Amino acid sequence: MVVRQYAQELEYLEKLNPYCWRIKKGFQPNMKVEGIFYVNAPLEKLMLEELRNSCRPGMTGGFLPGVKQIANVAALPGIVGKSIGLPDVHSGYGFAIGNMAAFDMNDPESIVSPGGVGFDINCGVRLLRTNLFEKDVLPVKEQLAQSLFDHIPVGVGSKGIIPMNAKDLEEALEMGMDWSLREGYIWAEDKEHCEEYGRMLNADPAKVSTRAKKRGLPQLGTLGAGNHYAEIQVVEEIYDKWAACKMGIEEKGQVCVMIHSGSRGFGHQVATDALVSMEKAMKRDNIETNDRQLACARINSPEGQDYLKSMAAAANFAWVNRSSMTFLTRQAFAKQFNMAPDDLDMHVIYDVSHNIAKVEEHIVDGKQKTLLVHRKGSTRAFPPHHPLIPVDYQLTGQPVLIGGTMGTCSYVLTGTEQGMLETFGSTCHGAGRALSRAKSRRNIEYTEVLRKLEDSGISIRVASPKLVMEEAPESYKNVTDVVNTCHAAGISKKCIKLRPIAVIKG
Amino acid sequence: MSDSEDYENKPQEEFTAEELILPPCKYEYLDHTADVQIHAWGDSLIEAFEQCGVAMYGYMTEIDKVEILRSTEIEVKGSDLTNLLFMFLDELLYVFSAEEFLVCKKLVITEFNVNPPEGEDLSIKCKCYGEEFTLGKHPQGTEVKAITYASMQIINEPEKNKFEVFVIIDI
Repeated sequence: MVVRQYAQELEYLEKLNPYCWRIKKGFQPNMKVEGIFYVNAPLEKLMLEELRNSCRPGMTGGFLPGVKQIANVAALPGIVGKSIGLPDVHSGYGFAIGNMAAFDMNDPESIVSPGGVGFDINCGVRLLRTNLFEKDVLPVKEQLAQSLFDHIPVGVGSKGIIPMNAKDLEEALEMGMDWSLREGYIWAEDKEHCEEYGRMLNADPAKVSTRAKKRGLPQLGTLGAGNHYAEIQVVEEIYDKWAACKMGIEEKGQVCVMIHSGSRGFGHQVATDALVSMEKAMKRDNIETNDRQLACARINSPEGQDYLKSMAAAANFAWVNRSSMTFLTRQAFAKQFNMAPDDLDMHVIYDVSHNIAKVEEHIVDGKQKTLLVHRKGSTRAFPPHHPLIPVDYQLTGQPVLIGGTMGTCSYVLTGTEQGMLETFGSTCHGAGRALSRAKSRRNIEYTEVLRKLEDSGISIRVASPKLVMEEAPESYKNVTDVVNTCHAAGISKKCIKLRPIAVIKG
Repeated sequence: MSDSEDYENKPQEEFTAEELILPPCKYEYLDHTADVQIHAWGDSLIEAFEQCGVAMYGYMTEIDKVEILRSTEIEVKGSDLTNLLFMFLDELLYVFSAEEFLVCKKLVITEFNVNPPEGEDLSIKCKCYGEEFTLGKHPQGTEVKAITYASMQIINEPEKNKFEVFVIIDI
């Protein structure tokens, strides 16, 4: 570990333009490529403050600052292009959260890292539209919020209500949303509007431990806790009318539902199991990293292959999970409005994954290469005409869903050609934490948070109200700063802004 | 919802008076940006481990709402001391998340084998006392996703009577 003064550290950082900084080689040992991160003025301050704090003598905090972590990732074997920090970047386990990195599949040294995906495999966001408007919902807002809360199991220790046994789980892990479709929980067109059509084909449930399956079974179809939520939102602003139209968003005031959740205990256990087995593989294959938390294995090693297959199973779990909650949401709306979900036009606009590793084709130094792209707290944002995005969005670019924090706004962006070139078609994922949970608890009163939400006309149903301040907007970076940075830097384009009117969370 | 009167509170097995004595609280939660760091201590390394486990349950619910109605026994192995602590907490998380859904108020390590013969694993046997997590009776705290090795520290200094552990849990 290099120990330097803050001023010396800064010499390795160069501001390329108002939205983008370069991390030069040498900032951390063995950097094979440079790092880069995207921030505007307020986010830049947070980012550099984190670095300065870590330079203080006697700092023995838990994680390295995000900018150091980006540089450590740049030192991993097989990395190509740059190690990239998105505007919502903050320090995480091994990789920073909001960090993406791509590894050459044809380089035998290249690695796959569970830390580059995160514990919550295929955590993501799904957006449903309706043909309702704010005025239709306001009179029944409280009832609707309560009904959603009653339908969707939330918080620690809650169990799924979709009937499942061990055999069903095996099938769901293999089939992803094809399972949900076969069982009648979703509509055929839902799949079209999901990354990978809601199913990773290389999933192999046989590679997953019994432990993970046992943790996963009772939790399928549950929202979870922490920053996960289901929100009823209304369209606040439309920046790109044409693209919004393609998504079925006609005008301001239209009601949507956003679901933010992942693969629950199943994914967490898959990640834990992989970290344990990779520690051994690293010793065997002499893989050196700058940080013990960057556990990884060669892509072609048995550990690497097993992880990719079990990660794919966890990704399928997450899609089935979000699909099950989509089903429950449609039921709640149908009962409230006494209309079929069809007649309410409750289509999935899109479903994004922001904790995942995928094999993709990209152009590196003018040549097409097959890469293993890790996105941790980062969303895929493919440009118009890309073959992997659905036909409905071929002309607009892929919709990118950015969930805000509780009570703030969320955004829909679209992918751009520039993002494809600069960031391997990746952009931010949300707000990103700014305050620690303990600090939030000390500084903010939960009653105050609930009152503020009420004052801004947001109904809230929460399983653990005493912890609500941990998720208060003050604990996070400003999502508008994050999104504006992505827009200004050109790595994705603003399309729609959404404002919550009801929040359901753990 | 009123107090626990609404629930069945009958012990599902017999406990001795000693088993029902509750340990003092020797843990705290430290500041950390995205996650939470547990700091636990005790008069022996065994006690520090036990306290660390209870601290994790304390983040999931309010421990004083938990009663001792059931118990289970776990056994874990580890390649070194940090790995052993990791596996111990991972097992406790599993006990909570699957099948038994047990939330524990008290942990008693009955076997603590940390100096095994060369080439053999370290091991722990632990008796876990608590009850099934029940919505309505037990307030929902934060979900623990996983145990991490991040800045894991085990201070084992018998000469100074200093036994402490630091663990970051991912939430």
